[in-house]
Amino acid sequence: MAAPPLAGIRVADFTWVWAGPYCTLQLGYMGAEVIRVETRTRLCVTRHMTPMADGKAGPNRSGYFNQYNQNKKSISINLRSAEGRAVAKRLALASDVVTNNFAAGVMDRLGLGYEELRKSKPDIIMITMSGFGETGPLREYVAYGPAQVPLSGLSALTGYKGGPPLHVGFSYGDPNGGVHGAFAVLAALYHRARTGEGQYIDLSQWETSVAMVAEGVLEYQMMGEQEPERMGNRDHWNAPHGVFRTKDMAEKVAGRSIDMWVSIAVASDDQFRRLAAAIGRPGMGSDPRYATFAARKQNEDELEAIITDWTSTRYAREVEEILQDAGVPAAIVSTNKDLFEDPHLNHRGFFVELEHPEVGVRKHTGPPWRMDRTPNGVQRAAPVLGQDTDDVMTRVLGYTAEELAKLREAGALN
Amino acid sequence: MSGPFANLKVVEVGELASAPYASKLLADLGADVVKVERPGVGDRARRRGPYPKNEPHPEKSGLFLYLNTNKLGVTLDIFKPEGMELLERLVADADVLVHNVSPPDMDRVGLSFERFRKHNPRLVMTSITPYGLTGPYRDRLAEELTIWSQGGLTYLNGAGPDTREIPPLKAFGQQAGYQGGIHGAVATVGAMMAQLRDGEGQHLDVSVYEVCASQLELTYVYWPYGQRVASRLGAKPVQPLEALECKDGIIFLCCIEDHQWKAFVELMGHPAWTDEELFKNRGRRTANWDAGRLFVQEWLNEQTVQDLYHKAQAKRIPFAPVSTMGDLLSSDHLKARGFFVEIAHPQAGALKYPGPLFQMSRTPWEIRRPAPTLGQHNREVYVERLKLSDAELTQLKQKGVI
Repeated sequence: MAAPPLAGIRVADFTWVWAGPYCTLQLGYMGAEVIRVETRTRLCVTRHMTPMADGKAGPNRSGYFNQYNQNKKSISINLRSAEGRAVAKRLALASDVVTNNFAAGVMDRLGLGYEELRKSKPDIIMITMSGFGETGPLREYVAYGPAQVPLSGLSALTGYKGGPPLHVGFSYGDPNGGVHGAFAVLAALYHRARTGEGQYIDLSQWETSVAMVAEGVLEYQMMGEQEPERMGNRDHWNAPHGVFRTKDMAEKVAGRSIDMWVSIAVASDDQFRRLAAAIGRPGMGSDPRYATFAARKQNEDELEAIITDWTSTRYAREVEEILQDAGVPAAIVSTNKDLFEDPHLNHRGFFVELEHPEVGVRKHTGPPWRMDRTPNGVQRAAPVLGQDTDDVMTRVLGYTAEELAKLREAGALN
Repeated sequence: MSGPFANLKVVEVGELASAPYASKLLADLGADVVKVERPGVGDRARRRGPYPKNEPHPEKSGLFLYLNTNKLGVTLDIFKPEGMELLERLVADADVLVHNVSPPDMDRVGLSFERFRKHNPRLVMTSITPYGLTGPYRDRLAEELTIWSQGGLTYLNGAGPDTREIPPLKAFGQQAGYQGGIHGAVATVGAMMAQLRDGEGQHLDVSVYEVCASQLELTYVYWPYGQRVASRLGAKPVQPLEALECKDGIIFLCCIEDHQWKAFVELMGHPAWTDEELFKNRGRRTANWDAGRLFVQEWLNEQTVQDLYHKAQAKRIPFAPVSTMGDLLSSDHLKARGFFVEIAHPQAGALKYPGPLFQMSRTPWEIRRPAPTLGQHNREVYVERLKLSDAELTQLKQKGVI
């Protein structure tokens, strides 16, 4: 049987929070041995975040941490002690790739800078995924994923018509920076496999986020330096295009209405005729007020009201089914529970259910791809803090049991 | 110096964002990418703007121009048998085929991994489709809005506890498409590593639905860890983490770690309210943020955005302004890093595009050519590379194949 794509690649992972861990999650999916360096005195913030398994707090019980650190090993090192930093350096030099998402300069101060490491290991690959990059006047600035959304221009473009700039609802800058970081590392690994050369990668999460609004940046220039307008769920080039109320919302559970919506995006006049027929208004398909894209755009308010009349007397899943059967792109606006229960995702084996030493079996999401020849995916649940310290110290780094005990005593490991 | 993917041959059959972004990522790092478009109409992105002065023109779409830099463009109708035969020849010596042809269309034209692999066992074929190549939703239709929504991201955004009548809100642009592309590119280079090692390719099935559902931060796990539905209407896991008004605009407040909150308290001049029991630690502060917000707002009313942004950053508090497109293009920081690059296109003219996504010390990111006009490289690819004769080329043109 073939080996996983990245079998034999070791990653010394100094990342934390979400961007960096999302990067190394991708590498782990493809078989890299990812060793996360943690410190008990300054835990990754995601180990503190809700939800905790069954509402009981503890550093190994966070769903957030356990989702994005699957497959990884955890070694707990005290980076404040000189001996601890020496262990970290030994780990870095025993690895093919060193990752971090600290602000510029932090790795240098830990004695783990690229120039230092390459002296002993010229083909090492190192990536820093900082908020602003390693050069430029704002290089010392810090940015977290949620703040990247306004900073990148995505907020200025997202919002209801006539309303203020809004967020996108999650820390988009993090997974986006992280997955681009994974791509950069893979490009460097590919180059190394062909030439034997390592290199240093400077990734700015701000820049990877700005790339996601390229259309807006170009529109501004093409329209004579005019800022694009926010337009809710509508689209300049398709109509109708929106998120509509459903009958679910008329029903109450525990005194609250169910917040259930359906999205519909018609991409052609033909699809509009199908939609018109499906909602029992076939005449609209040839009505000059709606038959063409330009006409629908002109009468969009009225059109949305007609569709809402129809959707709000039906359940979201019913709307999705009727419209899909008619050949119209439509989908429910899924909740996390909908995804968890979704027959399609479950059928495709998207979820991973592995035993975790503290929280048991929880249904996590796995890689969003399937490879038909090489094994990949999740082999192991996320580590409890320091779970692999002994194994990494002895098997990977070659410390003897005696040396290990001494380092523990000296407070180098924690 | 050349890019890490110099010498790599890629064929793309892509529309809109997902497959085109995946192959752009490879092309900008040196790969030779031949993009296949439908004769006459081309990639759907050509029929979406933005356009100069808002006048639609198939060679001037900003979305198309950005997503297709560095590619050679040919036309080819894969819905005709001769077209599929020609595609087979193009793919025969390629390292990678990346496409986003929908599963029903793949069935219709006979676009399958088996077919290409017969002639090219080294081929990595990456299929990026809305729902993937298996499962009950395989053949469903999807657009950017519907897949972002089905993937669980729309539900997290917009409105608020007091305005639950307002629909959840999609993020601007083609985010699901871009994410499908970058995740597809990650898997593709992984498979290329195995290709180098084993001399064998494989088929990758990338689902954009799953890509969206992979990015739900802490919200997906609220179900398996606590049987709770995570909603845009609910409370945030930590506060302050939101946009509020200053004197002259909006600032995004962000105190995720305790030291950031402490530094912010200092920046505000350590007002007495911050010592109250209600705001004592992260949990209390978050739970009582309705009250905390009022106090902070009072202080913010006297602040200006840029001044507060820089003052906060000087204390390592990750606040951020709401950048406009104009702000981005005029940022001294982005300029110093050479982020925006000017690219001249024969029809759309010179514009500044987002440039390198990261800087590699040895292998450059570079623009070698702007996005192709429709069928611009037909002769180069079909005559010079595939050695078709002029007569054959003419015949294929007459049949509408190219």
